[in-house]
Amino acid sequence: MRQTNPLVKLEGVGLTLRSRAGPVQILRDINLTVAAGESVAIVGPSGSGKTSLLMVIAGLERATTGRVQVADHDFLGLDEDALARVRGAEIGIVFQSFHLVPTMTALENVALPLEFAGRADAERRARELLDEVGLTPRVEHFPAELSGGEQQRVAIARAMAPGPKLLLADEPTGNLDGKTGAQVIELLFGLQARRQATLLLVTHDPALATRCARTVRMADGRILSGAEERTAA
Amino acid sequence: MSSIEAPAAAQPAAGFRLPLVLRFALREMRTGLKGFGVFVACVALGVGAITGVGALSDALNAGFEAQGEVILGGDITLSRMHRRASAEERNRLEQWGRVSETATMRASARTLDESEQALIELKAVDGAYPLVGAVELEGGRSLDALTRAGGAAVHPILLERLGVAVGDSFRLGSATVPILGIVAREPDTISDRVTYGARVFVSLATLETTGLVQPGSLVRWRYALSIADRSTAGLAAVRELAQRALAEAGFIIADRRDPSPQVTRTLERLRRFLTLVGLTALLVGGVGVANAVATFIDRRRKVIATYKSVGANGRTIFAIFLTQVLLIAAIGIVLGLALGLLVPFVLDTLYGEALPIRAVITVSPWSLLIATVYGILVSLLFALWPLGRAETVRAGVLFREEVADERQWPKRRIVALTILAGVALVAFAILSSGSTLTAIYFTAAVVVVFAVFIAFGTLVTMLARRMPRPKPAEVALAVGNIGAPGGLTRSVVLSLGAGLSLLVAVALTDASLLEELSTRLPQQSPNYFVLDIPKGEREAFGAVVHREAPEAVIDDAPMLRGRIVRVNGTPAEEIKASGDAEWVLRGDRGLTFSDTLPKGSRVVAGAWWPADHEGEALVSFEDELAARLGLGVGDTVTVNVLGRNLTARIANLREVKWENMTINFVMVFSPNTLKAAPYNLLATITLPKEATLAQEAQLARALAKAFPSVTTIRVKDAVNAFEAVFAKVMVAVRVAGSVTLAAGGLVLAGALATAQRRRIKQAVILKTIGATRRRILVSHFVEYLLLACLTAALATLLGSIAAWIAVTQVMELEFSFSGLAVVEALAIAIGLVAALGGLGTWQVLRAPAVPYLRSE
Repeated sequence: MRQTNPLVKLEGVGLTLRSRAGPVQILRDINLTVAAGESVAIVGPSGSGKTSLLMVIAGLERATTGRVQVADHDFLGLDEDALARVRGAEIGIVFQSFHLVPTMTALENVALPLEFAGRADAERRARELLDEVGLTPRVEHFPAELSGGEQQRVAIARAMAPGPKLLLADEPTGNLDGKTGAQVIELLFGLQARRQATLLLVTHDPALATRCARTVRMADGRILSGAEERTAA
Repeated sequence: MSSIEAPAAAQPAAGFRLPLVLRFALREMRTGLKGFGVFVACVALGVGAITGVGALSDALNAGFEAQGEVILGGDITLSRMHRRASAEERNRLEQWGRVSETATMRASARTLDESEQALIELKAVDGAYPLVGAVELEGGRSLDALTRAGGAAVHPILLERLGVAVGDSFRLGSATVPILGIVAREPDTISDRVTYGARVFVSLATLETTGLVQPGSLVRWRYALSIADRSTAGLAAVRELAQRALAEAGFIIADRRDPSPQVTRTLERLRRFLTLVGLTALLVGGVGVANAVATFIDRRRKVIATYKSVGANGRTIFAIFLTQVLLIAAIGIVLGLALGLLVPFVLDTLYGEALPIRAVITVSPWSLLIATVYGILVSLLFALWPLGRAETVRAGVLFREEVADERQWPKRRIVALTILAGVALVAFAILSSGSTLTAIYFTAAVVVVFAVFIAFGTLVTMLARRMPRPKPAEVALAVGNIGAPGGLTRSVVLSLGAGLSLLVAVALTDASLLEELSTRLPQQSPNYFVLDIPKGEREAFGAVVHREAPEAVIDDAPMLRGRIVRVNGTPAEEIKASGDAEWVLRGDRGLTFSDTLPKGSRVVAGAWWPADHEGEALVSFEDELAARLGLGVGDTVTVNVLGRNLTARIANLREVKWENMTINFVMVFSPNTLKAAPYNLLATITLPKEATLAQEAQLARALAKAFPSVTTIRVKDAVNAFEAVFAKVMVAVRVAGSVTLAAGGLVLAGALATAQRRRIKQAVILKTIGATRRRILVSHFVEYLLLACLTAALATLLGSIAAWIAVTQVMELEFSFSGLAVVEALAIAIGLVAALGGLGTWQVLRAPAVPYLRSE
């Protein structure tokens, strides 16, 4: 069905970090393809390399070996600033700790990627997105003045703002209570579906993983299962 | 029950409360001084500045005392203007000890062909001079042998000015004197107050041949005594004897314990002033202390919450952290004391030879105490408030992230303690500066400057938050950062503002004064002052001047010198004058008489006397000094002139425009009072504006030839000499201002370091949503540039107001604005912010993203 033109393609990716005790292999020989519009959950125990994998796909961490291709960009030939431009245009990221700019209001946080992209309608668009995530009354608030759930909704709005093809979410409900977490997940999946974006979701929560079309299981820096696109549901 | 809380205050447990708190404070310090570097540096710098000033002043005072005899040229000196000691007076002096007689005066030295002339400070000495120490001549020659041979020993600058060499002769009055030696070092320059001219030594016999000493000539006769009983009691006894026996003789008496009261007073005033400047640096550094403590408490919130969860109460926690802060302050204070103690050593090593007095390295406990107390009080003043927030941390933060509310006020007790620290600081400033008024002005100025900069920081933050978001994303980011709560705005504005304002004020005052001296003054002031014109030669003098320069304008006035010995019958020594008026009572003053009101004066009280006034002696007094001495119309002033006491009643007070540089005097007598006394004239000569330098020089040559005993002083030279002195004072003030700026730089560095983690995180987030490094760099650049420009602008405004007040109200001159001063302030602000901020930005751009993005 969607075999051609995968949005994300990782071939033989390895990640080794240096530590005082010597080099540590974080990812080993990762092969992964994700088709456009797919939703994929990445699960595994702590330290299995889930977040590192997400960082490599986001271009925030450079693979030590192998090849990373996202939205037809080969990361190997891109410098730090070119990677930043790819993220600005193609990738939205949602973190467990929200990572909003504390010195900016909710509106400014959401408008930021649009302003970077030189969009004249940045503010109007940001307002629309905040309305879509139900935060119209809180647009002028600073992150410190928002609850955890509200901060995560701002983060989702910001991630979706430039209309990315790829949405990366790292434990998006990890810092939230059950009810708020559920609301945030509804929002995330709703937006992904409406925008037809591709979603890669790192989670510990098996129930949440089942909401994705595919689950990739990891342990000890390797993918145990789910590396290939499903050809059938 | 296990609890770290100390027992309630009612129980007699205070004895072990302190060790407990101390124990915890020391445990807290196991992490080292991390985060307290700026705190320690700020305290050390401020305490170091204050200690340095105190130690240097102690060393100079000790040097002054130790070398008093050499500086004075004997144990006791008696000096007076105009009149040499009579045989009877001389006999008395010789009864008390060995005597050396000297005569000093200003004179002109001329080349033999009269083509060049130079102002000199002539000193005629007898064979006994100097009683103590030695005049060192180049080549090791003896001054006595050389002057006895009828020659002169001169300061090398005279050779240059006259274009002559050792072995040549020059004209002095009507005599020709050979130059036989070069002066290398003279023991008693300080007490002689050499100012304008080059020093020239001759013998008293040579002086007599010059014809310079005439009745009324401005000669100071000085008698140095070396007494037999050299004990302090013996010294006091002889001084007492001299004061009594020669009460009416008009001598000014000084002894080795305080060889130059004027220098001692100047040193003391300078010490007080520079101590306050050091305190300014310490106060600016206080902002760094406050920032460091606030950050520290913020980082320790979880530890504080843990303490609370195991039973500690707010007070105990406050005591633990206060103890820790005081321990850290103590480190800064000790470092500062050590740093300050090095100042006299360093200055003595580098510039010892150039100083008029050799410093004797001693430090008074008082100097160390002043610096220590200031260090403790300033640390407390700035640390108590942020420390108070430790008490308000709730144990709940252990379970749930809370956002610290920056605006939260500490408990009332902390507010009261902070106020108490402030009051104690002001009280101590009053006590240690010795001048209540100065300390109060200083406090008011500091409070105003801090308030203005805090308000300005708040205003800028508010405006940045309210203004419409600028279109370019980089500028929007910069403005967002400026307006952000907890941003750098207030830190930058407050840390650099005070120092910059001080520098702008100094620069503008300097510029206004230089403008006055170099442009306005020469346009309205005369070209020459001429001293010692014999009164019988007034007409002849006028004729020579008008022959050489027909359009020249001559103003002249009789001039004598005398000193005030009594005011309304009270001896001058017993009068406490307010402000800076004491100088009027402590030395010789120029006196004149006139039947008309002098030019540039206006009678403000009483009336001028009729032209042919006879009867009671009358005097007109300058009104500002009269006010400071508490004098009014009808009071009496007794002046000793030419060894005679003369009492006159104040007939009127005059307002004088000194800055016009026309001839004017503090005291103008009615002619019947002084007319019979031998006197000379003082004159000014004003040439037409278009007169060339050559014409000016030609006139001076003609006057020297016609009147060998008169001394001509070019006003331009006098102005240059004043400029040189003023430049030195300004250098001292600039150095002091720079210390304040350095403290500001430290505070700024601390604030930037504190913000660094947040800024790195911000940059990382921006990178994740597509920002390139150039964008981040530009946004930082715009933010820092805006902050530096805004701070420099306000500092320029405040500095200009301060300079305007100093120039127009205190100096009563015209204020002139200098663009250069503004550019300088801007350059320093941008330079400092760019250097410190740039370093931070470089680290921000290099920081890897991942560690900041992983969940904490």
